[in-house]
Amino acid sequence: MIRREYIRSVLNVFAESPFRPLHMHAEKGGDAVRKLSESVEAYCKGDMVRVEELSREIDVIEHEADVIKQTIRSQLKSSIMLPVNANDLLDFLKPQDTIPDDAQDVAYWLLLRQCELPDVIRDGFLELMSRTAATVEMYETLVDQLSELLETSFGKKDVKQTLAIVPKVEELEHEVDIIETDLIKIIFKHEDVLGGAGVYHLTELVKSIGDIADKSEYAADRLRTMILRR
Amino acid sequence: MDLFDPVVIALIIAGLYMAWNIGANDLANAMGTSVGSGALSIKQVIVIAGVFEFAGAVFFGERVTSTIAKGIVPIDSIKLIEPHFVVIGMLAAILAAGFWITFATFYNLPVSTTHSIVGAVLGFGLMLAYNGVIGFADINWLVLAKIVGSWLVSPLLGAALAYIIFSIIRYFLLQQADNPYDIEKRFVTLQILTACFIAFAHGSNDVANAVGPLLAAMNTLGLTNSTVPIWVLAIGGFGMVLGLATWGYRVIETIGTKITELTPTRGFSAEFATASVVVLHSYSSLPISTTHTLVGSVIGVGLAGGLAAVDLSVIGKIIMSWIITVPVAAATSALIFTGLIGIGI
Repeated sequence: MIRREYIRSVLNVFAESPFRPLHMHAEKGGDAVRKLSESVEAYCKGDMVRVEELSREIDVIEHEADVIKQTIRSQLKSSIMLPVNANDLLDFLKPQDTIPDDAQDVAYWLLLRQCELPDVIRDGFLELMSRTAATVEMYETLVDQLSELLETSFGKKDVKQTLAIVPKVEELEHEVDIIETDLIKIIFKHEDVLGGAGVYHLTELVKSIGDIADKSEYAADRLRTMILRR
Repeated sequence: MDLFDPVVIALIIAGLYMAWNIGANDLANAMGTSVGSGALSIKQVIVIAGVFEFAGAVFFGERVTSTIAKGIVPIDSIKLIEPHFVVIGMLAAILAAGFWITFATFYNLPVSTTHSIVGAVLGFGLMLAYNGVIGFADINWLVLAKIVGSWLVSPLLGAALAYIIFSIIRYFLLQQADNPYDIEKRFVTLQILTACFIAFAHGSNDVANAVGPLLAAMNTLGLTNSTVPIWVLAIGGFGMVLGLATWGYRVIETIGTKITELTPTRGFSAEFATASVVVLHSYSSLPISTTHTLVGSVIGVGLAGGLAAVDLSVIGKIIMSWIITVPVAAATSALIFTGLIGIGI
């Protein structure tokens, strides 16, 4: 039964802000990637128990992110007026949502196969993961700026400040790309030690981690579009 | 007849009930925006609202009260034909408006007390015209058209004004400041002033909804010499403050906790715009809905990019409430009037 209060109010005009959950959602992506960093480290040390533990934790984070995403989508009825274009907002939510998704995939992939890594590959992995995490964290900084942007309702100065972060995300993603191609080359050079399955497993892993940085960069790009087209 | 006539007592009680409703809901809505932005505590709001609402009602409420009392239906000419009709008709009108408001509030519909009372008074007039006591042309259609027009204009005016005020604040203050949150802090103080202003404005316009019919009856019965005696307005002011203190605080709490989006700069813009529009209408003797004007002002702030999310479906609901309220209140009022006369009261 609906509990009825003896109230007539102006509350109907105020809709739930999608920006707070949007920010929470971005943080979930960051959290998932931070957990993944730990997982990659544990994998390099051969601690598969920890890898499995972390994979379960990432599952939980990914699920929470999904719930937030669905909440945002269900709240954006056509009658809701936002300071930005609602379609642009959804266009940017989509790539942001793939960040925790991809982190979850990598965490699974780590579980599939344990292997003794040559030092050079292990260092490469740690480097790749740390640059990817840096990309995602830079992206989080970008989303952080949204609350300030809303406060000044998109003041020129703040828009400029926010948009200046986008190239930083792009730059980090570019670094990840370079590490990615180098690392794949190194993996193929160690074909004899790793074996066919090992090469396949590791190259897939490299590509999947790189994807996370790609998606952050893409989400940053959509965020810029949203701000510029409002 | 004297003041202790049962019909007069019924009119006073019904007027107080209406005033209580207005205080509990409409005044609470107007004040809730100050609590939402953290400018004032609920206790402070009740004290401020009490003082300024009462002042607005007593010192600036007479114009709109006159409109409700004799602007729509030609009370003075009906008085000459049959004074009893006026007294019973006004009782019917306030009862009808009271019933409709109670019903609407229970179902959380965004219905305006102003629209209800205007519809109810009109219903009484139409019933008399239907029975041939007065002609249909005797009803002051021009005034009615102006009133209905003002219902359309006031939310739009609120929206436009709030848009302009917030745009100015945004351009000259928020976007120039190193830290916009410092600006917000300064607006907390300003919002206390707008809270006083909006309470005064509300009192000046909405007191009429409660005591307009009472005034018409008093005049007809010769119980008052002056056009609008202070004590009649004071009854309305008292009822509204009572409504706020006994029930409105709950409405304020509900609103205050849910509209955290309305920061002091946004709250100031919406309230200042609303209060200005309402006072302007009080000055022009036009009864309007403070709540609908406030909704318009909030949308205005939203249009200026000041709010994270505004639900425009409320516009449709408000328009529906206009369309439904006037005929329902008019029909109920006409029926009650016929019934009361029919059973020989």
